[in-house]
Amino acid sequence: MSGSKPDILWSPHHADRYVICDSELGLYRIGPVGCSETKAGALPLSVETAATLLAINSDTPYMKCVAWYPKHEPECLLAVGQANGRVVLTSLGQSHNSKCKELMGKEFVPKHARQCNTLAWNPVDSNWLAAGLDKHRADFSVLIWDISSKFSPEASVAAEKIRLSSGDTDSGLVVTKPLYELGQNDACLSLCWLPRDQKLLLAGMHRNLAIFDLRNTSQKTFVNTKAIQGVTVDPHFPDRVASFFEGQVAIWDLRKFEKPVLTLTEQPKPLTKVAWCPTRMGLLATLTRDSNIIRLYDMQHTPTPIGDETEPTIIERSVQPSNSLIGSFAWHPTSQNRMVVVSAANRVMTDFTVFERISLAWSSTTSLMWACGRHLYECAEGVGGEGTVEKDIATKMRQRAQSRYGHDTVQVWKNHLLAGGDDPQLKSLWYTLFFMKQYTEDVEQKQQGSKQALVYSGIKNIVKSSSGTTENRRCWSGSDRQTDVPRFHSEERSLALRLCGWINRGPDINVEPFLRSLEGEGEWERAAAVALFNLDIRRAIQILNKGASAERGDLNLNVVAMALSGYTDEKSSLWREMCSSLRLQLKNPYLCVMFAFLTSEPGTYDGVLYESSVAVTDRVAFACMFLNDSQLPRYMEKLTSEMKEVGNLEGILLTGLTKDGVDLMESYVDRTGDVQTASFCMLKGSPGEVVKDPRVQCWIENYRNLLDAWRFWHKRAEFDIHRSKLDPSSKPLAQVFVSCNFCGKSISYSCSAMPHQGRGFSQYGVSGSPTKSKVTSCPGCRKPLPRCALCLMNMGTPVSNCPGTGHGTGKSDEKVDLTRENKLAQFNNWFTWCHNCRHGGHAGHILSWFRDHTECPVSACTCKCMQLDTTGNLVPSDSH
Amino acid sequence: MDAWSENIQKHLWFCNSCGNEVCTTIWSSYHPLLMDEMKEIAGCKFFSLTETPEDYTIIVDEEGFKELPESEHLSVAEATWLALNVVSGGGSATNSQPIGVTKIAKSVIAPLADHNISVFMLSTYQTDFILVRERDLPMVMHTLSSEFTLLRVINGETVAANSLGVTNGFVKPKLVPRPIIHPLSSPSNMFCVTSLDPDTLPSVATLLMDVMFYSGGMKEPGASSEDSGHIRFFSFSLIEGYISLVMDEQTTPRFPNNVLFTSASGELWKMVRIGGQPLGFDECGIVAQISEPLATADIPAYYISTFKFDHALVPEENIQSVIGALRTNESAGQ
Repeated sequence: MSGSKPDILWSPHHADRYVICDSELGLYRIGPVGCSETKAGALPLSVETAATLLAINSDTPYMKCVAWYPKHEPECLLAVGQANGRVVLTSLGQSHNSKCKELMGKEFVPKHARQCNTLAWNPVDSNWLAAGLDKHRADFSVLIWDISSKFSPEASVAAEKIRLSSGDTDSGLVVTKPLYELGQNDACLSLCWLPRDQKLLLAGMHRNLAIFDLRNTSQKTFVNTKAIQGVTVDPHFPDRVASFFEGQVAIWDLRKFEKPVLTLTEQPKPLTKVAWCPTRMGLLATLTRDSNIIRLYDMQHTPTPIGDETEPTIIERSVQPSNSLIGSFAWHPTSQNRMVVVSAANRVMTDFTVFERISLAWSSTTSLMWACGRHLYECAEGVGGEGTVEKDIATKMRQRAQSRYGHDTVQVWKNHLLAGGDDPQLKSLWYTLFFMKQYTEDVEQKQQGSKQALVYSGIKNIVKSSSGTTENRRCWSGSDRQTDVPRFHSEERSLALRLCGWINRGPDINVEPFLRSLEGEGEWERAAAVALFNLDIRRAIQILNKGASAERGDLNLNVVAMALSGYTDEKSSLWREMCSSLRLQLKNPYLCVMFAFLTSEPGTYDGVLYESSVAVTDRVAFACMFLNDSQLPRYMEKLTSEMKEVGNLEGILLTGLTKDGVDLMESYVDRTGDVQTASFCMLKGSPGEVVKDPRVQCWIENYRNLLDAWRFWHKRAEFDIHRSKLDPSSKPLAQVFVSCNFCGKSISYSCSAMPHQGRGFSQYGVSGSPTKSKVTSCPGCRKPLPRCALCLMNMGTPVSNCPGTGHGTGKSDEKVDLTRENKLAQFNNWFTWCHNCRHGGHAGHILSWFRDHTECPVSACTCKCMQLDTTGNLVPSDSH
Repeated sequence: MDAWSENIQKHLWFCNSCGNEVCTTIWSSYHPLLMDEMKEIAGCKFFSLTETPEDYTIIVDEEGFKELPESEHLSVAEATWLALNVVSGGGSATNSQPIGVTKIAKSVIAPLADHNISVFMLSTYQTDFILVRERDLPMVMHTLSSEFTLLRVINGETVAANSLGVTNGFVKPKLVPRPIIHPLSSPSNMFCVTSLDPDTLPSVATLLMDVMFYSGGMKEPGASSEDSGHIRFFSFSLIEGYISLVMDEQTTPRFPNNVLFTSASGELWKMVRIGGQPLGFDECGIVAQISEPLATADIPAYYISTFKFDHALVPEENIQSVIGALRTNESAGQ
């Protein structure tokens, strides 16, 4: 210590007391800030705790080491090792009880003076105090003193020769005869008693670690090493010891004492303290000189003993209790992971708790679990769901998977309803896909194969190929005024309008059905805008009136209708001026763009085209009507890249299911994580290169893994079926064959050759009714198939007592009708066997057997077949 | 045998200086470093300085040797030396009194002398070092391997020294009685063998310098009365962080209280000086001549060899019997 290097000792029995020793000893009590006991003069240690100085002891100069008496009584007895090798007993803040008084000031003097390096009280026989001293040519370096021993008369003989310390002997407080003397002509740097036996002492000697056995002092176990400083036993593993040398810590297992079981990464500066955490298993804190951090090594998951072949797992990290350089630290004896740190200078103390590493895991559903210290926390998504917070995408996907989202292949647009019907992007996406599908089907009827490829490539590509555009200037409907608004027509533009959903099939541009449907959905403003864009101002006004008078309608719509009716194409009219400025105050984007359209110069419709709140379909349709052949592709390009950038699914209308579409979907998935929509959407892109895109394959695989993780195995199977229909290349080949014991031919191969006689064993081949098929012998060699271990019938025989067999079939072929019962009935007939003992039988029989048994049904076979099946006990969570 | 010999892998240099002047420069060059870092002097882990009436003897390792200034006053012994150190490996708590050179006289010193290996002794407060010439090492190892586990210290790590395998040609010489050849003298001084806490070294550094270099001559008040038998002798060594001091008892009061380590018994030592004229470095058996009779008589001893002469320290109460025993041997030799 010698003034500069402080140390901290916690009281072994009072969790709120500790001693700081530097040039003197200071006893502190730690308590909460503002507590009545910690009044004025309390030193703040942290936000919540403060320390009060209870007592100071500066009686013992030249302190080199201090050790706190381990027993309850006397309470605050300290042994101080001095630079000249003397050990002095002293105390702090003690009421002078008799036992303590007797011991106070007692000195233990070695024959030859040299520095006392370390002290250790025996934890069991607390009268024993071991002192480790520097080397002397003729003296011992480990002295074990008995603090209860009196000044012995035999020592008084030697006292004649005592010249230098003659004064001390008078008081009778000097003891010169140790109980044990160990380690002759050696130096002792560190000591600790081993918990294995009260008479075992581990000492870090000059160049070796030695275990002295006081039951037989001529015996010692030792190992040569440099790491001899700071020996300390892990309080949680009595055989694990840490010691250090310079910057390196060595961990020893006393059962394999030949060499360190592990050495920790070397620090550039020499270590000053190494301490095991008393409250947490396998946590070692180390401190180096001139450092403001404490390095922690977590050996909790390091196996003991450590095998030679395995690389031990040690987690290393650093904590910084305060900004100043750390002089020393001490773990709190009981408070979890807590320590007090004292600065190298000025005795600044900090109360510090080492936070446990938090290990965190997302479940495949939305809940999040983390462990910290001895606590385990789970964070689940609010079940009540006030609707304010958007649900996690995993929850959404789960719900959507359960509602068979993506599986409606006929009324494709309905998928957005299956998804919840509340996402405009999904709505746009599925409508787009629906219109595309509808168009291809029409085209197929018309036998126009050339367009079919085009329609899935998106409007951007469709309008690029546009040719033969005609321009006409139409009158406002219901008005004979000639407008100077040019409108453009072409076959491709009509197709685009169809894909936007504005018009139905047929050559005419008739938006009336679309307007009706919008009115039906109460989208008055949008309907009015669409009517206006079709130059039917009266219809627009009519729609607005209707909207105003509708239930819960907005009366303001009448005002808008009024304003609309005042339309004039006079360039400098007050109406125009007012409309173009005031329209921006309209909250509804459709109302806003209506006036933008009316006040725009022909050909410059930026107010409409770049109003991002207007649906992409409407803007695209508008563009297809009013932009000329040079403007239109530019606008499409611009809008497409904008959509791709933000991952807006409405953009699929433009990109189609092309590589552009995959790019767009990629940014959508990056933004939302919705691999489900991505998978289903891109599967529609078949036949095409898009499905083979590695990104698409990745989404599909991730979605399948998700379904598996949710234990939605049936959903996953459905998805696989759906996928294999759209992408035949994804159909996996049969991987398992059952071969005959006798001829070695595959039974399933033979079955497939005779489709009505057997059952396929391929993944999707649950074909044929079990009642019909009865193959009990190998189709190749006619030898009987193995028997079921339970019913003793040959394989191929249907399960006899299955109530579900033969029922529940034959109805409703519109979907894949696999009710649970039906599926189970078929599965019951499957032949299954254990891969370990090779016994087996009907799946249904085997399953019911293992409901009550653990061992194989075959007598004398003790195979625990079911336990070997790791997934056998899992239940799918999507069973209905 | 419950001891092993430890072989410190250090090359040591012997230097000798005749004049105060040179040594002062040496010391001065170390002094600031001492203040800084007391454990190691600029990487020098072996430093010993002994003042005798004739000269100053410095033993330093290679790192320290580099720091020594060139000077015509400085003579350096040819050959480099290795320090051997006997450490006790067994745990036997024998309370045998003989310590130091006496303890190893028969097991180490005598066999080396028998094999005509010249040794150089340096006893310290903590231990005894036997210095042998580097070129003699194979022979030394061969000699000692029969009774000791030989360990080599390389960069602080202790490893077993493999036998060099050179056994042929080493003939075991005949054991002959070893008479004392050189004249002996015993000055009247009483000496203290002591040490001090390295942490306190900076505070006494100036005092040490003063004692060693500036209190020279016979001007000390205590010395004037018995000029005839009183000699100047002071030894300071700092080896691997450990300090060892041998000084005249009369010098001790100059140190502050509680700085010097003392033994509980407060033992004092008297000196036997060996050699009438410089002993040189080649003659072997000198240490053995002295230590063997002491070992036989069970008398503990310190032994410090310097550039010219050897010095044995024995407990003051034993000086008469020691002189008696040695005289017997001396006369036997004549």
